[in-house]
This record gives sequence, C-alpha cells and structure tokens, in this order.
Amino acid sequence: MISAKKIEEKIFKILMYISFSLLSIALVSIIAVVFVKGLGALSFKMLFSVPQGGYYLGGEGGILNAILGSIAIGSIATLLSFLYAFCIVFYINVYRFSKSQFSRSVRFFLDILWGIPSIVYGAFGFGIMLIFKIPASLLAGALTLSFVILPIMARTMDETLRMIPFEMKQAAYSLGATRFEISYKVIIKQAFPGLLTAILLAFGRGIGDAASILMTASYTDSLPTSLLRPVATLPLCVFFQLSTPFKEVQERGYAAAFVLTILMLLVSLLARLSFKSFSKYVVK
Amino acid sequence: MGAKQPIKIENLSVSYGNQKVLKSINLEIPEKGITVILGPSGCGKSTLLKCFNRIIELEENVEVEGKLFVDGEDVLHPKTDLIVLRKKMGLLLQKPQVLPMSIYDNVAFGAKIHKNMKKKEADELVEKELRKVNLWDEVKERLKSPADKLSIGQQQRLCLARGLAVEPEIILGDEPTSALDPLSAEVIEKQFLNLKENYTIILVTHMLRQAKRLADFVAFIYLGELVEFNSAAEFFSNPKDERTKRYLSGLIAG
Repeated sequence: MISAKKIEEKIFKILMYISFSLLSIALVSIIAVVFVKGLGALSFKMLFSVPQGGYYLGGEGGILNAILGSIAIGSIATLLSFLYAFCIVFYINVYRFSKSQFSRSVRFFLDILWGIPSIVYGAFGFGIMLIFKIPASLLAGALTLSFVILPIMARTMDETLRMIPFEMKQAAYSLGATRFEISYKVIIKQAFPGLLTAILLAFGRGIGDAASILMTASYTDSLPTSLLRPVATLPLCVFFQLSTPFKEVQERGYAAAFVLTILMLLVSLLARLSFKSFSKYVVK
Repeated sequence: MGAKQPIKIENLSVSYGNQKVLKSINLEIPEKGITVILGPSGCGKSTLLKCFNRIIELEENVEVEGKLFVDGEDVLHPKTDLIVLRKKMGLLLQKPQVLPMSIYDNVAFGAKIHKNMKKKEADELVEKELRKVNLWDEVKERLKSPADKLSIGQQQRLCLARGLAVEPEIILGDEPTSALDPLSAEVIEKQFLNLKENYTIILVTHMLRQAKRLADFVAFIYLGELVEFNSAAEFFSNPKDERTKRYLSGLIAG
C-alpha cells in the first residue's frame, strides 16, 4: 500500500518536473523562434555595417549602430547606477544597522522604485530634459536608464551583503578594523560573486529596456560617437523593423532580436565562468 | 605582557530592549592567569565578554551601563578609541570565523591594519604566530590557499593566531572549543595554558570540566547575576553560594 505521504511527495515531484519543463521550453522556444524567423537575415554583413539609404524599406546595411549603441548605453547606465547603488548598500548595511528603521525605509523605497514601469522613468527623464533643454542623447538615455536599473542593482547587492555572517563582521571588528577597512578588505571579498551578479543583472535589464530610452536617447543610423548625440539601441531596432510592412525587414527585426538574446546569454555565461576565480576565497 | 592592572567591572548592566541580560555586575579580574566565566547557557556570560572590547555595540537595541576599567581606563566611556581598545584584546568566537582571504592574509590582516609592514616583517610575523598555535607545520606549504579550506580545528587555531598577531594583552574566548572535535579542543586548551604566562585570558564556558582543567579563577554567573568569584581551588572545593553548590553538583542544568 502506498501511504498518503508518498503520494503527496510524488505529486509535488511531478509538479516540479512540469514547471521545470515549462521553463526550459520557454527559454528554448524563445531563442528558437527568433533564430528561425531571423535566420534569413543573419549575416556577418548585418553585424558589422550600419544602415545604408532605404534600409528600413529593404535597402543595404546592418545593425552595428544598434549593437554598439546598446552596449554603450547599457555600460554607461550600469556604471552610473553602480556608483550610487554601491554607496547605498554599504551605508545601510555597514554604517547603519542592517535592520534599522532607516535601512528598512531605504529598502522599501527601492522596492517601490523597482515596481515603477520603465516608460514612467522615460517620461520623467524626458520631462527633465525639456526643463533643462537637453537634447535626446546617449547621455540623457543612459542617465534615465540608470534610474531604471538602480533599484535592481541596489536590492540585489543588498541581499548579498545581508547574507554575510554576523560573526565575520564581529571577528573583523574585534581585530580593530574600521568600518571602511572591513568594507573593502572583508565584505567586498566575501560578497564579490553576489555583487558581480547584481551588476550583470542590472546590465542585462538595462540593455533590454526600450521604454525608458525611446524618448530620451532617440535613434540614429550612425555609430555612437558622442555622449551628446542620439544613439541607436537594439530593442528599438527590433521594434522599428518589426513594425514595417515589409517581410524582409521584419526578418531583420527577428535577427536583431536574436543578436540581443545572444548578447545577453554571452554576458551571463562569461559571468558564470569568471565566478570561480572571483570566489576562491569566499568563506562558505 | 598581559594587562597591567586587574580589570575592574563596576555596576555593569546590559539590556536588550526591555530585557535585562546582566544585572549590576561587580568583578575584578586578575591580570595574570586564566579567568573562567562559568554559567549555564543563556545566563549572560557571552554578553559580559562582548562588553570588554565593545563588540556588543554591533548588535541593535543594546544598552550598556556601568564602568569597565582596563589598564585603569573606563572602556565604556563614549570617548574611548575603539581601535586602540580592540587592539588590546584578541577575541575567539564560538564558531571559528575565518576571513575571506588566504591563510597568510588571515594572520596578517589585523597586524597590517595597525602597522605598515614590509613583506619580510609580515612573513616573520605570520610564521611566528602560526608556530605559537602549532599550525605552522600543517600549513607552511599552502599559505596562499583559502583559509576556508582548513579543518574546523585548524580554523580555530588560525583565528587564535590572527588574534595574537595584533599583539594583544588580553585574550577573550567565547566558548572557543564548543564547536570543535575533542582533539582540536584539546590542542586549543593547551595553547591557552601555554599563553597564560604572557596574556590575561578570559574564557567563557558552560563546560564544568573545561573550567576545572583551565581555570585559575572562576566567576560564576547565573541568570544575569554574578553569583560567586573566587580562585579555582577555592571555588570548586569550597563553594560559598547555594546556587554555586547546586550548579557544581549538576542540579542546575547547563
């Protein structure tokens, strides 16, 4: 006879398998669909040239402008929000009690910011640009995008810092270290893999965001050469091409989506590979 | 070495929120030998130990009142330089907690904070301290490997070496052998007996037998109060207080 407990165990096991399969199917099918639909347009030429005349009507050219633009805007936004997020999380976890009212308020605000749709950030950034008469540009887009990804980066870093054993801080303090010394000699080392994950997560989110940069970074067919000029990005590149009525151009849109996906995969893969060397001294 | 004068505790009270953990402790810890703070779990003995180097302030909602004199200075005074204070004391926690760096850097960490050292100087220091805790021969081939890779007993000896490297006068131990296997515990206990010539050692434990093996003086704490303080010989052979007698005969669980 099979006991009720065993049946229960079985049901949950099956549920787990089902959800795992759904997840894998989703991942594989997303990549497969963009790959198959964009296959006809994928070529080296597409990766390494910029749009020529009439590109969006089926003319010659490629999407190098959007690839480099996305990398540029994603990196700058990540750097900007890193500088800010890093200070926030060390302040609320090292310089204040991690569970203090103040720290909890900061976390609460960050959670709210996380929930705000990126189009709202876009509108906010655009509003500010109008006041100060800043044109749509790489800088304006990166600044707006950095607000979008700040809460993601800060909260992920925060969770990592909260996982550091209290005894480790006790041990370091009892040797006479200051908060600053503990931060950069102990906590950063212990939290490094988590901090890196937070940065990459934010970068991934930033490079895929379209709404916040639609109005603030605009779009251009030329390569990103100046912080004060508009910049092309992959999500918008996908959007513009898919919304044309031409089948050939739509195919390029899928190809661009495939490039964006692969770029993301590469970033997280590289991160995983580099983890080992960065986490050598981490105390488990 | 060792503390220059007895450590004096006057009317020390500690509370967490509304809960009083230590109630008006008065105690004078001799500057020589091993003083064991004995008591059942949860009696406040670890709390007392954490007051010495004010590590207790890392916890939230803690209130410490009273005076605690080390080398004649009240360390609980707000103006006390915590870095100088903590340099005077090495702390050994219940569970050995290595730092996320190599074996070598673990030992050198504290010392490098307090003093700029040349590489050769640091090398010598690391070797000297690791020899003191009998760990040198076991790790000399792999000083650059992560400290986390060591066994738990080796880790605790490493933590002791790390504490000794800042040249403290006082060693604080918060049940430093309770997470260790019996053999490693014995090694640590031996270190303490060797070290007591040169350091003031204050050791918290709930293990009666360990107290008997190590103590020169015993302070018995029960439910946040100091019940009895005496030399070890007197304490174990001729306890004064009823609660001490009950504890020693095993009637108070601990």
